[in-house]
Amino acid sequence: MASDSPNSDRKIVVHLRATGDAPILKQAKFKISGAEKFAKVIDFLCRQLHRETLFVYVNSAFSPNPDELVNDLYENFGFDGKLVVNYACSMAWG
Amino acid sequence: MSGVAGDGTLAPSDFRVAAVAFAERWKSAVSALPPWSWIPRPTHPWLSNEVDGYLALENACLLGSSEEKSVGCCGGSEEPNCSGDDEPVDDATLVQSSRDDVHYYDFHIIYDSSYRVPVLYFRAYCGDGRTLLLNEFEGDLPADSSEALVKSKWTFITQEEHPYLNRPWYKLHPCGTSECIKLLFQSDASIRTTSGAAELYLLSWFSVVGRLVGLGIPYEMMKCENNT
Repeated sequence: MASDSPNSDRKIVVHLRATGDAPILKQAKFKISGAEKFAKVIDFLCRQLHRETLFVYVNSAFSPNPDELVNDLYENFGFDGKLVVNYACSMAWG
Repeated sequence: MSGVAGDGTLAPSDFRVAAVAFAERWKSAVSALPPWSWIPRPTHPWLSNEVDGYLALENACLLGSSEEKSVGCCGGSEEPNCSGDDEPVDDATLVQSSRDDVHYYDFHIIYDSSYRVPVLYFRAYCGDGRTLLLNEFEGDLPADSSEALVKSKWTFITQEEHPYLNRPWYKLHPCGTSECIKLLFQSDASIRTTSGAAELYLLSWFSVVGRLVGLGIPYEMMKCENNT
């Protein structure tokens, strides 16, 4: 990433949205560096909710690869200055 | 009326539209893997909800090395991307290993008339053509997907006879698919009834299901041509 554009350092506002039967986070908005991988958002969610797996997806009905950069996801799926990340519980019933 | 039903299912008449769009976008966005092909099948006039074909991606190569897993296109004519070498250098270069653990995969996306959703069937085999059992290729799957598959309410792996090929294949069971799609499409209510909804269906579905078997969807595939 040899770019000196401000994009490589910018922070992206991520808004975590509970869907289905997922618990709602007290703190649903946070900032993350655009250079981080989406995996970091997923890990954060799993830790906050004490779950090992979650179903995580962005608007436009798409579940991104954990290796994608938050910057790229924001550029393509973000709006209103933020990236909305939806999550649902994917654990088995019971 | 086309589009994705509110219950997360896909109409049989839309499956081919969705399949063609999916295959096109895959070809543009995914260079490291073979393209998907539409395999036509004859339909029977006395059966409703039948679809006249399915999508196939075959001979995808996963290296079973313990250090790194990479997915490549083996057996195809990959252009060498490093000039000046005697041999083509490729991210998915076959490595000679004492375990001979190069695994090949065939993936088929087949419409299920009962559940009214697509289903991913897959088969793993090694270089000599021998079909692999789940416990032999499980290590190829992404680390977190084995766990996700065991605990997920969306899907799990079963072994069944392939609907057309009369051989046992593995599949990701479709019972949770419509529920999963419902959530995905809720993220953007307007898209469900637009003409692009059917095309979007397989992309959305595969972004979840494909990743469980090590195939994801790069975000570029989701971009519309007229999206700025």
